[in-house]
Amino acid sequence: MKNKNFLRKLLLCITFLFFYFPILYMLVFSFNSSRSLTSFDGFSVQWYEKMFSDRNMLEAIYYTLVIAILATVISTIVGTLTAIGLSKSKKILREMVIQVNDLPILNPEIVTAVGLMLFYVSLHIQKGFMTLLFAHIAFCIPYVILSIMPKLRGLDANLAEAAMDLGATPLQALRKVIVPQIMPGIVSGALIAFTMSFDDFIISYFVTGNGVKNISTLVWTMSKRINPSINALSTIIVVIITITLLLVNILPVLKEKAEKKHSKFSKYTIRIIMVVLALGISGGLFVLNKSAKTMDPQIAIEKYGSNVLKVFNWGEYIDPEVNAAFEREYGVKVIYDTFDSNELMYTKLQGGEAYDVLVPSDYMIERLIKEDRLQPLDKAVVKNLSQVNEAIKGLPFDPENTYSAPYFWGSVGLVYNKEHIAIEDLMAQGFNILHDERLKGNIYFYDSERDAFMIALKALGYSMNTENEDEFIEAYDWLVQLNTTMDIEIVTDEVIDAMINGNKDIAVVYSGDAAYILSENEEMGYFIPQTGTNLWSDAMVIPKNAENPKLANEYINFILEYEQSMKNSLYVGYASSNAEVLDVLSGENGEFEGNEAYLPRIGNVRDEIFAYNEKTKKWMSDLWTKVKIAK
Amino acid sequence: MKVFRRLAYPYILWMSIMIVIPMLLIILYAFSKEGNDVATLSFTFAHFIKFFTDPAFLNTLWLSLRIALITTIFCIFIGYPIAYAIAQSSIKKRTFYILLITLPMWINMLVRTYAWIGILSDNGLINQILSFFHLPTTQLLYTDFAVILGMIYNFLPFMILQIYSSLAKMDKSLLEAANDLGANRWQRFLKITLPLSLPGVISGITLVFLPSVSSFVIPKLLGGGGYLLIGNIIETQFITVGEWNFGSAISMIMAMIIMLSMYVTRKFDKRNTGNKRGDLS
Repeated sequence: MKNKNFLRKLLLCITFLFFYFPILYMLVFSFNSSRSLTSFDGFSVQWYEKMFSDRNMLEAIYYTLVIAILATVISTIVGTLTAIGLSKSKKILREMVIQVNDLPILNPEIVTAVGLMLFYVSLHIQKGFMTLLFAHIAFCIPYVILSIMPKLRGLDANLAEAAMDLGATPLQALRKVIVPQIMPGIVSGALIAFTMSFDDFIISYFVTGNGVKNISTLVWTMSKRINPSINALSTIIVVIITITLLLVNILPVLKEKAEKKHSKFSKYTIRIIMVVLALGISGGLFVLNKSAKTMDPQIAIEKYGSNVLKVFNWGEYIDPEVNAAFEREYGVKVIYDTFDSNELMYTKLQGGEAYDVLVPSDYMIERLIKEDRLQPLDKAVVKNLSQVNEAIKGLPFDPENTYSAPYFWGSVGLVYNKEHIAIEDLMAQGFNILHDERLKGNIYFYDSERDAFMIALKALGYSMNTENEDEFIEAYDWLVQLNTTMDIEIVTDEVIDAMINGNKDIAVVYSGDAAYILSENEEMGYFIPQTGTNLWSDAMVIPKNAENPKLANEYINFILEYEQSMKNSLYVGYASSNAEVLDVLSGENGEFEGNEAYLPRIGNVRDEIFAYNEKTKKWMSDLWTKVKIAK
Repeated sequence: MKVFRRLAYPYILWMSIMIVIPMLLIILYAFSKEGNDVATLSFTFAHFIKFFTDPAFLNTLWLSLRIALITTIFCIFIGYPIAYAIAQSSIKKRTFYILLITLPMWINMLVRTYAWIGILSDNGLINQILSFFHLPTTQLLYTDFAVILGMIYNFLPFMILQIYSSLAKMDKSLLEAANDLGANRWQRFLKITLPLSLPGVISGITLVFLPSVSSFVIPKLLGGGGYLLIGNIIETQFITVGEWNFGSAISMIMAMIIMLSMYVTRKFDKRNTGNKRGDLS
C-alpha cells in the first residue's frame, strides 16, 4: 500500500511540474534584463515598466475585462431565462433549440469565427467593440444553457405551481422558487462563460477591428517577434487569477464558518470583502479607462472634424514615441493597428474597415490605385515630401507621388555567418547557395509568397515580374526542391532574434532587419546577389473610405519630418525615406556607419520593383501554400 | 406553467440570427464563385473540387487528423492514471488537486503556448541541459513533437477533468460488492471502474480532439511558418489570401468531418454504456 501511495504522489508531482514549469519559466524570464527568452542575463523590471507605459497593453486589458464581465452577465441572465423557458416548452421545440444551441459547442471554434465574420461583413457592420461583445455573448450563452438544463431536469415542476397557487406572481415564483434551486448550475455556467470570454482568441481574432484588441489578439501580434513584455503581462494575469481563484475557493468556506458560528461580525466581514473587491475591480477598470483616453478632444474636433486617427502599419515598424508625440502636439488619439503582410491589410480593407492612413508596399499601392481605393494627398499640407530621397520619389506605380508618401525602403537579401560561409561562394552562387548541400538544415527562409518567388525567379535568371507560366512552374519546382531537400525553416520576424543568436548560418531577411541583426551580431554579413533582388518601398497612403483625411495628411507630413524620421529609422533599422536622415545615419559617426545592410543598393539594373498583376498574384499565393505543404 | 415558455422566445430569435445565419452564410459562400461580396453570388462546386483533387490539401487534412488523433491518444493514456490518482486521494486533497489542474486553464492559451518557445528553441533550456551533459543537442521547436507537446499541454486538463468527474461520481459500493464476491483488483478495475468511467473518457475525447484538429495557434507558434494544419489553411484563406469562398468550403468540410466523428462517438457512447448497464443489472 505504501508503494502505491508513493507512485501516486510521484505521478501527481510530475503532472504538476509539467503544468507549472512553463508558467514558472515565463515568470522568471519576465524579470530578465535582456530580450532573450533563453538566457537569463540579470534581474530587471524594465518589461513591467514597458508594459505599464504601453497604452496598447492597458487598453487590451481593459477591453478583455469589460467584454468578459458584460458577456458573462448578459449571457448568464439570458441563458438562465431561456433554459427555464425551454424546460416548460413542448418537447419538439426544446429538442430543436438544444440542437441548434449545440452547434457553436460542437463546431470547431474557427468555423464559428468565420461564420460570424462573414455575417458582420455581409451586413456591412464595422468591426469593433460591439461586434466583439455580440460574438462573445453568442458563444457564451450555449455553455450557460448547457450547464443549467440538467439542473432543471431534476426539478420538481409542482413546486413553482404550488407557489403560484398560494398567490405568488410568476416573477416571484421564478425568483424565490426556481432560481434558488438551479443556482449551482447558474454559477458554474457564469464561470464557464467568463473563462471562455476572458481567454478567447480565435473568435475575437476574426471579429474584432478598428483598434479594439483583447489580450489574446494583442499577444498574437506581439508574438511575431520575441517580446518579453508578453511575459510580464502573463505574470500579472497569473497572479490576478491565482488570487481570484483562491478567494472564490476560500470565501464559501469562510461563509460556512460564519454561518456555523452565527456571528454577525464575520458575516459582515465577508460582505465587506465582497464590496471592497467589487469597488477594487470597478476602480481598476476606471483607471484603465482613463489611461486609455486622451485630453480634451474639443480643439481637434473643431479643427479636423474628429480627434481620432486610425493608422494601419506593419508590426514593429515605428518608434512608439512618434505616435505619442503626434498625439501631444495635435491633441488627438491615434488608434494604431498592425499587419504582417500586404495581403492581410488588403483583406481588412476589403472587409470594410475604415483606416485613415495605411502603409502598404509598392505593388499593393499600385493595386489600390488601380482599384480606385485611394484619395490624393493634400500637397498643401504634406510639405515635407520635399525632404524625401530622390531615389524613391516618383516610382512607376505613382509617378507624381499623387497618392503615396514614402516611409521606408530597402532590399531583400541574405544574412550569413561570415565565419562559416565564404563570400566567394556567395558571389559565385547567388541565391542558388540556398540549394548548396553543405547548408542543409541551416537555412531560415522568409514566409512571404512574393519574396519566395522573387528569390526563385532571380536564382533562375528570370525577371520577378514575369508573366510566363513556364517560368513560374520552374520557380515553383525550385522552391519545392528547396523545401523538401534542404530542410529549411520557414519563419517570419522570429528570424531576427534567431540570427542575432546565431542559430543558423544563412537567412533570407529584409535589409532593415538585417541592419539590426548586423549591429547586434558582428559575425553576420549581408549579401545581395548580382542577379538582382526586390527593391521595395513602403509608403503612406490615405484610403477613399478614411474618416479623417484632414488629420491623415497632417500625420503623414509629421512622419516625414526630420526629427520623427530620425526616431523611426533609429528604432526600426530600416532606411529612412528622409534624405538627410539617411545621410546622417549612414555617414561618419552615424549609427549605421559601415553597416552594409542599411543603405539600399542603387544602380544594379537587375534590381526590380514589384508590379501588381492579378494573374501572377493568384499563382503565387496558390503555389506558395503548396510549397509549404510539400514538406 | 405556460407563462414561462415565453422566456425562451427572445433567445430563439437571437439564436437564429447569431448562430443559424452565420452557418448558412458559410454554406452560401462555399458554393459560390469568387468575389467576397454576398451580392455577387453564383453557384459552383469548384472550391470542393479544388480541395479534393489536390493531394496537397488532402495531405494537410490527413496530417491534421493524425496530429489530433495522436494528441488524443496521449491525453487518454496520460490523463487516465492522473485522474485515477486524484480520485483515489482524500476529499480535501482532491479539491486542491483539481484547483491546481484548473488554474492553468484560466491563463490565456496563447500565453501558455508562448512559454514553450523559450524552453524548446535551438539554444533553449532543454538543449542547454543536453549540452551541459555533453549530449548531442537536437531541434525541438518547429517539429511535430513541439506541436503535439503544445496540444497535450493545452488540452490534457480537459481529459483529466472529464475522467475524474466520472470516476468521482462512481458508486463505491459496487467495488465493495465485487470485492465481497471475490473479484481481485484487476477484475474490479476492468469490470467496474473502467466501464463506468468510459463516458468521461468519451467526453474527454470530444474536448481534446475537437480543438486539436482545428487549432491554428499552436502549429503556428510551435510548428513555425512552414507548418500548416487545416486550421492554418482556413486562417490564411480568410486573413491573408482573401479567398473567402475557398476558405468557407474548407471550413464546411472540416465542420462536416467533426460533426460526423462526434456523432459516431456519441452513438458508440450510448450503445456502450447502455450495454454495460445491461450487464450490471
